[in-house]
Amino acid sequence: MWWGGRGQSFNIAPQKEEPEMGLSGPKSVQGSRMPERRSRQLGSCMSSGCLPGEQILAWAPGMRKGLEPELPGTLICTNLRVTFQPCGWQRSQETPLSSEYDFALVNVGRVEAVSGLSRIQLLRPGSLLKFIPEEILIHGRDFRLLRVGFEAGGLEPQAFQVTMAIVQARAQSRQAQQYAGITLSKAGQRSSSRKPPIPLLEILEDWETERKKQGAKGWRVSTVNERFDVATSLPRYFWVPNRTLDNEIRRAFGHFHQGRGPRLSWHHPGGSDLLRCGGFYTASDPNKEDIRTVELMLQAGHSDVVLVDTMDELPSLADVQLAHLRLRDLCLPDSSVAEDKWLSALEGTRWLDYVRSCLRKASDISVLVTSRVRSVVLQERGDRDFNGLLSSLVQLLSAPEARTLLGFQSLVQREWVAAGHPFLTRLGGTGASEEAPVFLLFLDCVWQLLQQFPAEFEFSEFFLLALQDSVRVPDTLTFLRDTPWERGKQSGQLNSYTQVYTPGYSQPSAGNSVNQKLSVWDWDLRYSNEQILQFHNPGYDPEHCPGSWLPRQQPSFMVPGPPSSVWLFSRGALTPLHQLCPWRDSPSLLAVSSRWLPRPAISSESLADQEWGLPSHWGACPLPPGLLLPGYLGPQIRLWRRCYLRGRPEVQMGLSAPTVSGLQDELSHLQELLRKWTPRISPEDHSKKRDPNTILSQSC
Amino acid sequence: MRAVPRPPLPWGWAEPQPPVLVAAATAGARVAASAPARRCFPGRRYAGERGSRRWRRHQGAQALLRVVRAPRGEQLLCEASTVLKYVQEDSCQRGIYGKLVCTDFKIAFLGDDESALDNDETQFKNKVIGENDITLHCVDQIYGVFDEKKKTLFGQLKKYPEKLIIHCKDLRVFHFCLRYTKEEEVKRIVSGIIHHTQAPKLLKRLFLFSYAAAARNSTATDPKNHTVMFETLQDWCWELERTKGNMKYKAVRVNEGYRVSERLPEYFVVPTPLPEEDVPRFQGHGIPMWCWSCHNGCALLKMSALPKEQDDAVLQVQKSFLDGVYKTIHRPPYEIVKTEDLSSSFLSLQDIQTAHSKFKQLFLIDNSTEFWDTDIKWFSLLESSSWLDIIRRCLKKAIEITECLEAQNMNVLLLEENASDLCCLISSLVQVMMDPHCRTRVGFQSLVQKEWIMGGHCFLDRCNHLRQSDKEEVPVFLLFLDCVWQLVHQHPPAFEFTETYLTVLSDSLYIPIFSTFFFNSPHQKDTNMGRESQDTQGKPLNLLTVWDWSVQFEPKAQTLLKNPLYVEKPKLDKGQRKGMRFKHQRQLSLPLTQSKSSPKRGFFREETDHLIKNLLGKRISKLINSSDELQDNFREFYDSWHSKPTDYHGLLLPHIEGPEIKVWAQRYLRWIPEAQILGGGRVATMSKLLEMMEEVQSLQEKIDERHHGQVALQAEASSLLRASARLSSLFPFALLQRHSSKPVLPTSGWKALGDEEDLARREDESVDVGDL
Repeated sequence: MWWGGRGQSFNIAPQKEEPEMGLSGPKSVQGSRMPERRSRQLGSCMSSGCLPGEQILAWAPGMRKGLEPELPGTLICTNLRVTFQPCGWQRSQETPLSSEYDFALVNVGRVEAVSGLSRIQLLRPGSLLKFIPEEILIHGRDFRLLRVGFEAGGLEPQAFQVTMAIVQARAQSRQAQQYAGITLSKAGQRSSSRKPPIPLLEILEDWETERKKQGAKGWRVSTVNERFDVATSLPRYFWVPNRTLDNEIRRAFGHFHQGRGPRLSWHHPGGSDLLRCGGFYTASDPNKEDIRTVELMLQAGHSDVVLVDTMDELPSLADVQLAHLRLRDLCLPDSSVAEDKWLSALEGTRWLDYVRSCLRKASDISVLVTSRVRSVVLQERGDRDFNGLLSSLVQLLSAPEARTLLGFQSLVQREWVAAGHPFLTRLGGTGASEEAPVFLLFLDCVWQLLQQFPAEFEFSEFFLLALQDSVRVPDTLTFLRDTPWERGKQSGQLNSYTQVYTPGYSQPSAGNSVNQKLSVWDWDLRYSNEQILQFHNPGYDPEHCPGSWLPRQQPSFMVPGPPSSVWLFSRGALTPLHQLCPWRDSPSLLAVSSRWLPRPAISSESLADQEWGLPSHWGACPLPPGLLLPGYLGPQIRLWRRCYLRGRPEVQMGLSAPTVSGLQDELSHLQELLRKWTPRISPEDHSKKRDPNTILSQSC
Repeated sequence: MRAVPRPPLPWGWAEPQPPVLVAAATAGARVAASAPARRCFPGRRYAGERGSRRWRRHQGAQALLRVVRAPRGEQLLCEASTVLKYVQEDSCQRGIYGKLVCTDFKIAFLGDDESALDNDETQFKNKVIGENDITLHCVDQIYGVFDEKKKTLFGQLKKYPEKLIIHCKDLRVFHFCLRYTKEEEVKRIVSGIIHHTQAPKLLKRLFLFSYAAAARNSTATDPKNHTVMFETLQDWCWELERTKGNMKYKAVRVNEGYRVSERLPEYFVVPTPLPEEDVPRFQGHGIPMWCWSCHNGCALLKMSALPKEQDDAVLQVQKSFLDGVYKTIHRPPYEIVKTEDLSSSFLSLQDIQTAHSKFKQLFLIDNSTEFWDTDIKWFSLLESSSWLDIIRRCLKKAIEITECLEAQNMNVLLLEENASDLCCLISSLVQVMMDPHCRTRVGFQSLVQKEWIMGGHCFLDRCNHLRQSDKEEVPVFLLFLDCVWQLVHQHPPAFEFTETYLTVLSDSLYIPIFSTFFFNSPHQKDTNMGRESQDTQGKPLNLLTVWDWSVQFEPKAQTLLKNPLYVEKPKLDKGQRKGMRFKHQRQLSLPLTQSKSSPKRGFFREETDHLIKNLLGKRISKLINSSDELQDNFREFYDSWHSKPTDYHGLLLPHIEGPEIKVWAQRYLRWIPEAQILGGGRVATMSKLLEMMEEVQSLQEKIDERHHGQVALQAEASSLLRASARLSSLFPFALLQRHSSKPVLPTSGWKALGDEEDLARREDESVDVGDL
């Protein structure tokens, strides 16, 4: 097998002839005993696409259907992916991992075998195929559909084998999760001191740098979870108020669900803090000191605290999953919805409704954060799903930095990856029932923002698409583990594993092992430079509104709150609360359910008027620069067509011509022309040479 | 998610405490609402003002109103002072006091606050209609509020309302509170408004005529307007020549002076072998009339059906006549003619009317509560109006016809009862798709002129300008504009005009100073103008056409009607090209081929050449019933076009799948403050675009200077876009800028939360869910 990369190339013995190939059962052995002429013809074709460590389990010649005209080729099942290779097609060497014809095994959703007109079998893991299939339908979780019809004429056993191989490989990939080991790619060819494109927040310094960048003075990095003994789902390091001691934190966190106590998410330059935490662990019986600590941590030095009930008005995990499944059914090319019923079917999925409620809530919270110096605490029972979603959205809305390419990647790394969003479970990687694509919901929300504010984001729709796709490509650990702890554990093995395939690879020292880690943010693993260039939004215009970059301190926007007020934000309104913690007065469980009850206020109207809303002088002056308020009306929430309708050929062809980028091409062409004609570089010539490497590897 | 509808909003039109005037001068300046008086044709001198006696009588009142200039011939009918107009800006309760006046041209609200008069920000202002002006023809429905109950107002009133709600045809909604107005004035203004907007009118009483009469003496300079009006034989000959249709078709003058039919224009085009004597036999019915010729020689024809007869003998005559006609056009050089009967197998006007009235209700919103209630079910409401489906069907029909003309080399004959509704719609759509000339501004205007104005579309009836019959009111032209909008939206670089152009064009339907949309036929227009001229000074009336955009917009504002992305078709001739250079709005610096093959189709797709065909094969699922051969042809044509890169100067087809037909957001959402996205929307991209265009232009200049030593041309990017710091998605129609971000949330927090039990239950629920 040949694998060529930039600068270097190296050979790996063809996997087909290795005896180890039998690992996955007799089928692959049979597979290699294919008819002689076919074998020769297909040999080069198939192997060209293989990655190091990838094994071909079975293959069969077939005809891709559904898209016209039909395309002859070969359906191949490896231990990494199912791929359909059209005849004469060469895999691009630049981007060996992603192609239109690939379905990573994680991505394989429903598999159906069809024979004749009437026999259709849904193939579940472990089920046995009852007939020789004439056609196989592979539904991708990423809204694609692969239909391959098998040729008749002596090759039926192969069709049978490849179908069974797909079913088995998919089942195995779930259980063993071995694919993570196949992190291969170009990493090996790189120099050993590859710096992660963004801080991965696995070391103390990253947290410290980020804290300083945000200007969070009252906060420090706590190392209390360095050995993951407070909570495995928490990152090693997190931010806590300066004045709290580590042992206090350890005790206080014990009173929260799964040990996820209040931590700083983001410090607004105006002074507000956005915190997130899990639900109060109601069975515990904290002493007074602990309660005091918890309260201090929630207040974070502010007199005004708003507890946000995250799950209120948001869909449950099951809702999200159901909506996503429905949306997929609707968007797959074989959906049976009539054109004139499309809109109500879309509404029926409720996906857009959920997108809308997320945006609405995030918009409300960002107003809470921006309008007054206060501490806003997002509280979700598990603190691993919607807290991350809301906190990231709030930051996107209120911090222009988060809307840059680097800023967005660090945001996702911090609020999702490091914060312990259970990616593997939520994306269905474990086969557990808790599948719910919360992260994809988030990406959809971001896309909506991108639609609404095309000049405010440095990244483009294509970047979001690439991120969306990466979720299903098993080449880095970023989305393949549930907790930072598991990720850390695995990456050690990963290092030694990659060495096997890396001749001339220098022995990594213990110190720089962190640097060796690959993350999803190493885009050049999967995408060509040309594609990476497309991650940039040509319409991005940070100077679009002068002063959109928030100066560090803007006290003028911030009005101090009334002394010690505690509020609950729920159902779009603020309610006064007696106390922050549920335990103080009556530690019994019975009291818990009533803890949110509002205290009867003497004059609710006046209180509310005084409290809620923005400083009165906002009426006359424009919004605080940099704050985006998204629209979330029915007509404004759109379907992300390029993402969800990608299975439909008619939608794939770019509807919106990239007019801005076309102009940009024209611009650079003209500049080029002018430069050629001008002996010296004219001062007006501000052509920007864009190189993906410099773009993506600038450190924050 | 618990689908709890949001509680009513704080500002839900509760009565503000009087007097809630806009206090701060700064705030007042922003309420540009109070600047209406000067909107009456500023910048024009009105010699005719003094001409009217009644005008003089009202001069006292006018002075009070500070109406310095009004449209010529405008007469004040009634007025009321201390009227409170609700301002939708902001989420707080607010109103402006002012005068509500009703003239024979419009209903206008003149704010008391004068400060706004000095406010000369560069906005996209209409010079004729201010933001607080409603022309009488633009009024759709009038409601009165009696003790919190909303009722439709019509006819004689016994009781006068406290509040007046006016729904406009351009989807604005006005709320006027009359509580602080004198009873006498209330009576006068309410009955005046009702009478003048809803009572049937005579054609001669249209404001159009008083305006034209008053303007008679002013020498209107004919603006540089290249729109072909199709009022002369020459115009038709040019059009024949342009489309190379003159081989098989001839322009005839049979109907000169409307001798044959008052329905038809004076000049039109028929197949060359058709004897001219045939035309008058059924007053032009049954005669195939030429619309347009395709590059391959096939033509689009239309024909109005022969009158329905019971008598067998007459039927026989009709039949033989038609046979004769068909024989003529079936013989060479015409080859095959396909007849498309639009009145039997296609949409009915009734469908269009019903759909539109349902559809517009989605946007005519009285208060926010109502809005949020409907918002939850947005998509199903939208679907149930079936307006989008009607658009889809029109586009589909147009594609089918395009397929016949383009792919099958067949002539197509559109057949309709009067050939003046759906015929106009379909034939213009086909031309927009097939003829790149129709996608320029001048070309589009000429097209409207040819197919709609000369085609005898009954604008007067269809818009119900005279309030004579609600049944006849069918927004066919609006439907056409919406179809074109879909095309503009899907292929922006192919059009010289923008969606804003279409929006203001749709608004112009209701401005009665333009003659364009106020007649049922050219005959009606000519006769009414002619008689007038005999009565008085023997000089024909000087009617404005809507195509003279300078009447409505300053040159600066007009730049927004022009699509900066549009690139004119490059001329092949090199010598000519250099000369032409500066006439072009913009030229491609890159070779055209490059822009064509740029990898815009699909993202991250390998686009090796031999594969492209395979990859791009496509189908329209569901839409097509594959059993039908015709449908197969259609599908193949549609698929193959969409699988090729788009040539913006060639054939242009829309996507018509379910998700691709969209709501014309600019037109329908522009007055809804909740729909505003501050600093967002397409305009954000536009301003960036313009910036880049300027850069491209300046570089082009440099290159030209260097090479040809030619004079630089002016950069014309709109300064409108750059002036304002942060534009909103409603630009350029954002009259009510949402200045604060006061969140749309209820203020009294905990009433909304419900009672204790409810809360406790919810708490339990969330615990349960978490435990799972």
